[in-house]
Amino acid sequence: MGKKEINRREFLKLTGATGSLLAAGSVGSLAFPKGVWAATSAIKGPIKIGYQAIASGTLAGYGQFHKYGVEMAVEEINAGGGIAGQRVEMEFRDSTTKGDTAIANCRYFVDSWGADFLAGIDSSGQALAIPSIIERLDRVMIITHAATEKLTEDRVFKEGIKQIFRISTPTYQDGNAAAFIAKDLPAMKWATISPKYEYGYTCWKMFQDTLRKLKPGVSFITESFAPFGTTDFRSHINTIMDAKPDGLYSTEWAGELITFVKQAKEAGLFDKIKHVMFPVGAAMDVLEGLGKEMPDNVWISGRYFFKYPNNKTNNEWVARFRKRWNHYPAYVSETGYSAIHAIKAAVEKAGSKDTKAVIQALEGMELDSPAGHRVFRKEDHQAMYEVPWGKTVSNPKYPFKVMGEQKVIPAKEFFNRPPFEGAGTKPPF
Amino acid sequence: MQSVVHVCLAGLSSGMFIWLVASGLTLIFGVLGVLNFAHGSFYMLGAYFCFTVLRHLGANFWLGLILGPLFVCAVGYVVERFFLRRVYQLALPYQLLLTFAFVLIFDNLVKIAWGAGSLSPPSLDIFGGSVPILGRKFPVYNLFIIAVGPLVAIGLWLFLERTWWGRIIRAASSDREMASAIGVRVPLLFTAVFVFGCWLGAVGGGLAVPYVGLLTPGMGDTIIIEAFIVAVIGGLGSLKGAFLGALIIGVLSAFGTRYFPAFDMFLIFILMAAVLLWRPQGLFGEAR
Repeated sequence: MGKKEINRREFLKLTGATGSLLAAGSVGSLAFPKGVWAATSAIKGPIKIGYQAIASGTLAGYGQFHKYGVEMAVEEINAGGGIAGQRVEMEFRDSTTKGDTAIANCRYFVDSWGADFLAGIDSSGQALAIPSIIERLDRVMIITHAATEKLTEDRVFKEGIKQIFRISTPTYQDGNAAAFIAKDLPAMKWATISPKYEYGYTCWKMFQDTLRKLKPGVSFITESFAPFGTTDFRSHINTIMDAKPDGLYSTEWAGELITFVKQAKEAGLFDKIKHVMFPVGAAMDVLEGLGKEMPDNVWISGRYFFKYPNNKTNNEWVARFRKRWNHYPAYVSETGYSAIHAIKAAVEKAGSKDTKAVIQALEGMELDSPAGHRVFRKEDHQAMYEVPWGKTVSNPKYPFKVMGEQKVIPAKEFFNRPPFEGAGTKPPF
Repeated sequence: MQSVVHVCLAGLSSGMFIWLVASGLTLIFGVLGVLNFAHGSFYMLGAYFCFTVLRHLGANFWLGLILGPLFVCAVGYVVERFFLRRVYQLALPYQLLLTFAFVLIFDNLVKIAWGAGSLSPPSLDIFGGSVPILGRKFPVYNLFIIAVGPLVAIGLWLFLERTWWGRIIRAASSDREMASAIGVRVPLLFTAVFVFGCWLGAVGGGLAVPYVGLLTPGMGDTIIIEAFIVAVIGGLGSLKGAFLGALIIGVLSAFGTRYFPAFDMFLIFILMAAVLLWRPQGLFGEAR
């Protein structure tokens, strides 16, 4: 215990200079609750958050970066007096990519460990597998990566599973926003190489539907879907190059995107196809992995990019993150970090950690986060916020390509709108 | 024409690449009778060691390809000598359990030693990049893989069929007790064959560094399934069968992906099912 206190002091000294988040009264003290919350008796015991993300196999790096963001949030919040004066505890578990593992983790967190809140999840398949167990366990779950819009449109809005929220951008960013960028490009014939599962199909369909409306006359000439775990994209690349499109749209992500880009370069794809869009190409693992080998002038985006928004909150957070972990924050680090802060804000607003009260507090809540201003939409519990699209360029300040020219489409212009069916629910509005 | 040729080339290179990994798996099964689920881990370790030599010694790729697999041979020696040897007498499920345990252990050791994230080796300018073939670029390195596959096959065949060592190995694999009775030190021989099989897998991993262009802690898990399919189609334990199986799978899946995308994965499993129905022992397998 004594050792822990020293660590805490040292940590505070380190962050104290920059830490605008820290409450002055908390320095050196481990006693909870305190401050304005000292008199509140409604919230008892530590606030326990069960977090799960992929921490094994080919995508294990994602889990690592989720953990960096979440751990940092917990450290900072506890150093600043906790949530409503209560200490935060977090347990991290490997979600793998399987639905049953995600369900088993949720059960473990709530039934065995006593979690008050749940967060995490990378795979869309898993996101669609957990809603019924979440409803039964009756805990707020904040999704920080899985993108399928069916989660928020169907499970939350239509079926009324109100415990689920999503803080990361849904497929609207990958499909709809990409179409808003593509409409201004001189490409009329589009093709795709995308993942052969829910996420890849959904994004490509959304991109086509929206781009057709924005730019009549545009055609979609070929598609090649690569199964999860593909390490050889060469046949897919042949399919695309045979069709001679003007534009290539690809929601390949993480390591598979790195492999795809390398193999496409070997085949000369980027010399032949001038307009290329990678909706999740701005992920740090991809940018750092490819380094100088990422071609220039490719349109990329993500769920967050560390250079946007260029304001005090974000820049200071990026600096603290780099100091703490010696890495640039991945987008899952930001969404994980902000999820913990959303829980803090909601519990303090509700004055309770009771699920019903917290749901009410989260609905419509505004959050000032590193990724910018977020609002949880009341109807579908989706966080509305902007992530830029940008074209890759070299920058002497970084050993990898960054977004040069950035374009930001306002979230309300390209997010599908409730009730998600019928006229006026899908962009353009 | 351009399209067909390039799909063929893609199929040949991926087929030969799978063969290089499957050859070690097949050899170990053929001689030791062990289904080594951890073979994918040796492939992964081969890639990581090769990458490390490349990065830290600033060495060229070929030095990495020679040194990397040697480390893996040492690991393979420990696995055989101290663990696998104890389960030869037990039923197949015990061997599978043990080798699967090693998959989990090695995946986690790699995560601890090299980090959880993927490693992306810088593109190596081996053989000067790509050459145009009928107007589309194709990496010379992949042509090299296409050439290495048959060379390894011929080398293995000559070794097993034409050398004294090969005769001993064949004798021990067909009848352990008899070989032992005539004075062959079977345990030592098995260790040597296992280490050699690991070396083949590790070389496959080293070759994957430029071929796949990405190293991840779970990279062995995908390749082991492909290698198993190849080995089953060809007949477990038959090198000839594995070679042919890899060729068929590589070319078939390339054509499937290009011309029948809706069925690409389906084609491979239907082929495997058909072979198993028609010849349960595989194309060149011996009925047991």
